[in-house]
Amino acid sequence: MSIARGGDERLKRDRALFLVRFIGIVVGLYILIALNPVNDHVIVPFTRFITVIAGWMLGAAGQQVSVNGTIIGSPTFAVNVENGCNGIEAVILLIAAVAAFPARWIDRILGIILGFLAVQIVNTFRVAMLFWLGAHHPTVFQLFHVAVWQSLIILFSVGLFVLWSWKFAAPKALATSR
Amino acid sequence: MLIWWGGSPSYNVALARSAEMVLRWSERPPVTRLRTEERQIIVERQDFARGSPRPGVPAHDLTFNFIIMMTLFAAGRETFSNRNVAGLLLAAAILFLTHVAGLIVTIKSIYALQLGAWSQANYGSVARNIWGAAAHFYRLVGMYAFAVGLWWLLRPGVVVEMPKGRSVRKRKSARS
Repeated sequence: MSIARGGDERLKRDRALFLVRFIGIVVGLYILIALNPVNDHVIVPFTRFITVIAGWMLGAAGQQVSVNGTIIGSPTFAVNVENGCNGIEAVILLIAAVAAFPARWIDRILGIILGFLAVQIVNTFRVAMLFWLGAHHPTVFQLFHVAVWQSLIILFSVGLFVLWSWKFAAPKALATSR
Repeated sequence: MLIWWGGSPSYNVALARSAEMVLRWSERPPVTRLRTEERQIIVERQDFARGSPRPGVPAHDLTFNFIIMMTLFAAGRETFSNRNVAGLLLAAAILFLTHVAGLIVTIKSIYALQLGAWSQANYGSVARNIWGAAAHFYRLVGMYAFAVGLWWLLRPGVVVEMPKGRSVRKRKSARS
């Protein structure tokens, strides 16, 4: 193996191409979920589902909570799970990155399905933990809500993409092209 | 996170001044003034009634994607290499511009949507939708996409030539 001449140029071009596709898909998916019918019939029911599971987790952990729509409440504290808290933003980034990456379609579909499930499992835990923090440690709730958990969920999503591209998609794509 | 939290007060001042400059440049007559108060950027307009409440934008909501980008750069194998540090600095400079844009669209969405009758009188339905959607896009996914995209574009990486003439990128953290 030797360092390729002109490789830096190709690397820059590939990365720029990936970035254009990535941003384009992010914008497209944002427009899709912003449409009222999609929001009302997909996003809101999905958010309710997340809320129910998070409420169930909190109940199993001994917390006295009730769930009403997208609201988890207790006698002292309540949270409303909205867009931005339902993990959809992390899923959009993951789908855009996986779709923009050069790989076989089967690997892309597998990456998106498994990534979606992994992000949502972590996000449900995040919702439950944020409620617990708000109920028991309200002084740090805002910091964890805005900066800590938001960053963690996005980094988790990026980490899943990097793992997928590194371990699964690229070696197979390369093998098929030989 | 400590760098972000500790540097936020000074950063927010630079952010407010830059956004104010652009906003005033686009206004006839220029009326917007921005000032920082704790971790908020307060919107002052010279045509606001005296004593009326001033809208505020929590600056950390717009800028915490810096933590994500910094973590991604730091997670590579050669964190302190010249190329990685240079990439991070360039990415941070570009991210600052996206923060200015994020603050501008947020303030414009406040003007277009949150000032009651004044908003309706000064912004048509198309403008209200555009500014509202732009601010929502930035806050929901745009700020994350910018941070991840800048890392992807500017992180170090080399290309190596495979023996049979096929090439594959050898990366520090991911293939592109």
